[in-house]
Amino acid sequence: MSDKHSIDGRAGFLARLSALETVVLAGILLVALAGLMLVGKGFYMKAKSELSQVLLKRSFEAQLHGESDVKPWPWADFSTEAEITAPRIGQTAVVLSGASGEALAFGPARLANTPAPGEPGTSVIAAHRDTHFRWLKDVKPGDLLVITRKDGKNLTFRAGASRIARWDKSGINANAPGRNLVLATCWPFEATTQGPLRYIVNAELVTDAPLPKLSALERSVQQAVNSF
Amino acid sequence: MLLDTENTSATPSRSFVPHVEYMLVAALIAVTAALLFAMGIFSHAAAETSEGKPQHFAGYVRPNDMGTGALLFPSKEPGSFVEAPRLATDVVIDVNGPIMRTRVTQRFQNPSKGWVEGTYVFPLPQNSAVDTLRMQIGDRFIEGQIKAREEARQVYEQAKAEGKKTALLEQQRPNIFTNQVANIGPGETIVVQIEYQSSVHQSGGEFSLRFPMVVAPRYNPDPIVQTVDLDPNSGFAVNDPVPNRDKITAPVLNPAENAKINPVTLTVNLNAGFPIGAVTSPFHQTDIQSVDDMARRISLKSGSVPADKDFELDWTAAAGMTPHAGLFRETRDGKTYLLGFVTPPTDDATTIGAPAKREVIFVIDNSGSMAGPSIEQARDSLALAISKLRPEDRFNVIRFDDTMSVHFPSLVAATPDKREDAIAFVRGLTADGGTEMLPALEAALRTQGPVADGALRQVVFLTDGAIGNEEQLFTEISSNRGDARVFTVGIGSAPNTHFMTKAAEIGRGTFTLIGSEDQVAARMGELFDKLENPAMTDIAVTFDGANAQDITPNPMPDLYRGEPVVLTAQLDGTSAAGKLQIVGKTGSQPWRIEMDVAKASEGTGIAKLWARRKIEDIEANAYAFNDKAWLDKEIEKVALANHLVARVTSLVAVDVTPSRPAGEPVADTRLPLNLPEGWDFEKVFGEQPQQAVPEDQRKAELQRTEEQAMLVAGRMAAAPTARAASLIADAGTQVDLPQTATQADRYIQVGLMLLAFAVMAATTFSLWRWQLRGLVMEARDRVR
Repeated sequence: MSDKHSIDGRAGFLARLSALETVVLAGILLVALAGLMLVGKGFYMKAKSELSQVLLKRSFEAQLHGESDVKPWPWADFSTEAEITAPRIGQTAVVLSGASGEALAFGPARLANTPAPGEPGTSVIAAHRDTHFRWLKDVKPGDLLVITRKDGKNLTFRAGASRIARWDKSGINANAPGRNLVLATCWPFEATTQGPLRYIVNAELVTDAPLPKLSALERSVQQAVNSF
Repeated sequence: MLLDTENTSATPSRSFVPHVEYMLVAALIAVTAALLFAMGIFSHAAAETSEGKPQHFAGYVRPNDMGTGALLFPSKEPGSFVEAPRLATDVVIDVNGPIMRTRVTQRFQNPSKGWVEGTYVFPLPQNSAVDTLRMQIGDRFIEGQIKAREEARQVYEQAKAEGKKTALLEQQRPNIFTNQVANIGPGETIVVQIEYQSSVHQSGGEFSLRFPMVVAPRYNPDPIVQTVDLDPNSGFAVNDPVPNRDKITAPVLNPAENAKINPVTLTVNLNAGFPIGAVTSPFHQTDIQSVDDMARRISLKSGSVPADKDFELDWTAAAGMTPHAGLFRETRDGKTYLLGFVTPPTDDATTIGAPAKREVIFVIDNSGSMAGPSIEQARDSLALAISKLRPEDRFNVIRFDDTMSVHFPSLVAATPDKREDAIAFVRGLTADGGTEMLPALEAALRTQGPVADGALRQVVFLTDGAIGNEEQLFTEISSNRGDARVFTVGIGSAPNTHFMTKAAEIGRGTFTLIGSEDQVAARMGELFDKLENPAMTDIAVTFDGANAQDITPNPMPDLYRGEPVVLTAQLDGTSAAGKLQIVGKTGSQPWRIEMDVAKASEGTGIAKLWARRKIEDIEANAYAFNDKAWLDKEIEKVALANHLVARVTSLVAVDVTPSRPAGEPVADTRLPLNLPEGWDFEKVFGEQPQQAVPEDQRKAELQRTEEQAMLVAGRMAAAPTARAASLIADAGTQVDLPQTATQADRYIQVGLMLLAFAVMAATTFSLWRWQLRGLVMEARDRVR
C-alpha cells in the first residue's frame, strides 16, 4: 500500500502528508527535541557534579600527601580544602574553598568569610540540595560528622539541631565562641525551583571522640541485631 | 492513476473529512492547553512551597537590626536577642560652628527576675569620636576609663566574675559600638549616657546633622508569620499546633504604643557661627526658638511620635552670608589643633562649561567565582557605564580570568559604534576559570599609553575580589598609578570589601558596592556622578611659617560637586602663627587659597576630631606596614591620649563595691538623691508631671508598661551565660548563605513533560492519519 502512495514528487513517508500534517509533525519533533535537550542538560549537571568529585578526590589525596597548591584542573578557580564524611549515612564529599560562583557545581564549599573547620568560630559549608548535600536531611541530632582537613587533621563534629532560615537572615555568626560547623543547603528539599530558604544543620567539635568509623560500624551492627 | 481514484473517491466524503480534521486539530489544541495549564499550576505550587516564611519570632531582634541605641538581652532563641524596655531617651546636641557634640541618655529596665548581662548597641554616624561613657545601675554611678582593648576586656571579665557591676564599651565597626553591662539586678533600672563628637555635614552651602532613631520595621503591629516546625526524624515540616501563635504575642511593640512609653526628648543648641537663614527638620515636627541671629534652640515637639526616619536638621546661612571658608583652632597639651574648611568655587564657568575629558579603562573579572548572578550584575553595570560615555571620551575594556584580553588595541574614542562593539563584547562574557588579577591590573595601569593633555584617567575595576595576593596588587597600584584614579566596584553578595576599599583608597578613587541586581542602576548612577564631575583634583595642603606635623586626611581625596575640603591639622607649639595654603586643580585650572592661622577662631573638640581622623588614616595605610602590632600600637597611642574608643581601645567602668546579693529587694532608684556634678540625668527621670494625665489613662499606660516588661522577661534566656553575652558583642557580622539549588531537577522535569507531550501528540497524529485512511478506504469501497 505504501509503495503505491509514493507517486508524487516527494519521497517516502513525507509523500503521504499534507502541508498541515507536515507542520504538525515538525512541531511535535521540535517539542521532543527541546525536551531531550533539557533532560540532557539536567543529567549533564548531575553527572558533572558526581564525576568532578572523582577528580577532586584525587587532587585532595595529592594534597594530603604533601603536594601544596594542587588545583584539581588547571583552569579551576578553587582548590580542595577538606573532606566531609557522614559515617552513619555513608556519604562523603570533597569540600572546596570559596562558595561563590561555579565552585558549588563541583562540590560542597566552605564560605570564604568563615574560618576553616576546627578553628575558633563557626565554619560554614554549603552544597546543593539535589546533589552533594542531598543527604543533609537525613542527618539527625547526635550524628557524627568527620572532617579531614587538607593538613591531614581528622576532626569529629556532633550534629545538633537543624533549622530553617532565609539566606540573608541566617543568624550564623562566623566569630561565635567555640569551634562550630554549620552545614547549609537549600530548603525545601523536594522543590525544584530556587527559593530564599536555607536548611541549616549546626554541629560542634567533639574533643577526644571515639574513633567515628568504629562507632558507625558498631551502630550498623546494632541495627542489624535489632532487626532480627 | 491511483491519485485520480483517490481524488474521485474522496469526493463523496469531502464534506465529512475536513470536519474530522478540524475536530482533531481542536482536540490537539485542547490537549496542549491542558498540559501547559498543568505545568503552570505545578510551577506555581513549587514556587509557593519555596517561598514559605522562615522561622521568625516577633519581638526577637538581632544586633544588626538596630537603627538606634538599644539595650539587648540574650534570648531563649540562639542568635536572637530581646530588647529591654526603653523607658526614656534624652538627646542633647550642641553645635558649635563645624563641630557637634551629642549626648544621649537612655533609661532601660531589666524586666526579668534574674541577674543579667545586657548589651547596649548603638549605631552612630561614620567618623564619630566616642569619648565618654557614664552609667547608672540601680543606685550606683560609674564612669568609663579608656584602656587598651584586651586590658579593658580583662578588667571587665574579672569584675563580672566578682559580681561587681561593670560596663565595657567597644567599637565593633567604625559606625557600630556596643556597650556590655554585667550584673544588672532583677527589675533594676539602667541609665546609659554616651557622648560623642562629630563634624557637621556640609554640601553645596547646606549644613546638616543626623541622629539615628529609626524604629525598625520589626515592630510589625500584626505580622502574619508562619512558624515551621521540623520533625526531628524526617527533617520535614509538620503542622504547627498553634496556627496563629505569633499573632498572640505580636502587637507588643507597635510604634504608636511604644512612643507613649518611650518618650524621646531631643534638643539641639545650634550655634552656627554665621547668621542663620532657614532651619528645617524634614522628618519631625520641631519648636524653633531664636536666641540671636547666629544661634537657635531646636526641640522636638512634645508628643511627636518617633517616625521610621532618623532625625535630621538642615540649616543654611542668611542670604549672601554663606561661608565658603572657615578656620578654627584649639590648644591642648602644648599643641595647636586646626580645623579648616573651604568650599571650592563650583559655579565657575571653567568647571561647568567644559567638563573634563575622560579616559576610562574598564576591567572586568569573569573568573569562575563570578558565575551566577555576579557576572550578570557585572555585565549590566559595565554595559551601563559604557553607554554613558560621551563621544569625546576615550575608553578600553579588559577582561580577565586566568587569562586576559584587552578588547581594543589601545584607547579608542567612545563613538556610538565603538560603544556598541564593547557592549556586545561585555554581554558575551561568561564566568569561568581562575582569577589572575595582576596581569590585568598591569595592563590597565601601564600599557594604555600616556594620559592626554587635560584628560582624566580613570580605571574602573569590577570584581568580587576573590584573590590572595592583595599586597602585590596594592603595591602595583601605588607604584604605577601615575595620574590615574582607581575606582573599584564590588559585585556579588560577599565581595572582598577589604581589598576593594583599600585598592580604591590607594588609587584615590572610591569603592562602590553592588549587592544585588536592583542596586545596579542606583549605585552605578552615583558612581557616574562622581566620575563625570570631579570638582577639584590634586589637592595639597601646606603651612607657611608653622610646623605642621600631621595634616589629615592624607593624601587629600578628590572633591566632587558641592563638597568642601575639610582638614584637620596638628601644629607644634601654642603660638598661632603662619599661613595655611590649599592648592588644587579645577579642570585644568590651578586653584589656590590662603588663610591666616592667627585669625582662626577658638573652638573645642578639634583635637578629638583630629585624633579620630588620624586613626582612620593609620588604618587606611595599614597595607603599607607589615608590622601589624606596630600599627595597633600607633592607633592605641593616639586613642589613649585623646580618650577615644577605637578598634584597639575600649572604655571600661567598674563599680568598686560588689552588688547586692540577688535575694535582696531592690530599692526604688528612680530619683537618686545625689547626682554627681556634671551628670545630667534629670531629663530621663522626669515623669512628665507637666501634663495632667487622667487617672485611668495613667493606669492603662502603667499596665501596658508592665505587660511589655513581662513579655520581654518571658523571652529572655533564663540565666545569663558568658557565652550568650559575648555572642552579642561580636554578633555584628552575619553570614549570608549562597544559593544552593541547581536547576537540574527542574530541567529534567520540564524536559520529561515535553517528551510526554510529544509522545501524546505523535500518538494522536498517527491515530488521526489512520482514521483518515480508514475513511478513504471506506469511500473507495463504496465507489466499487
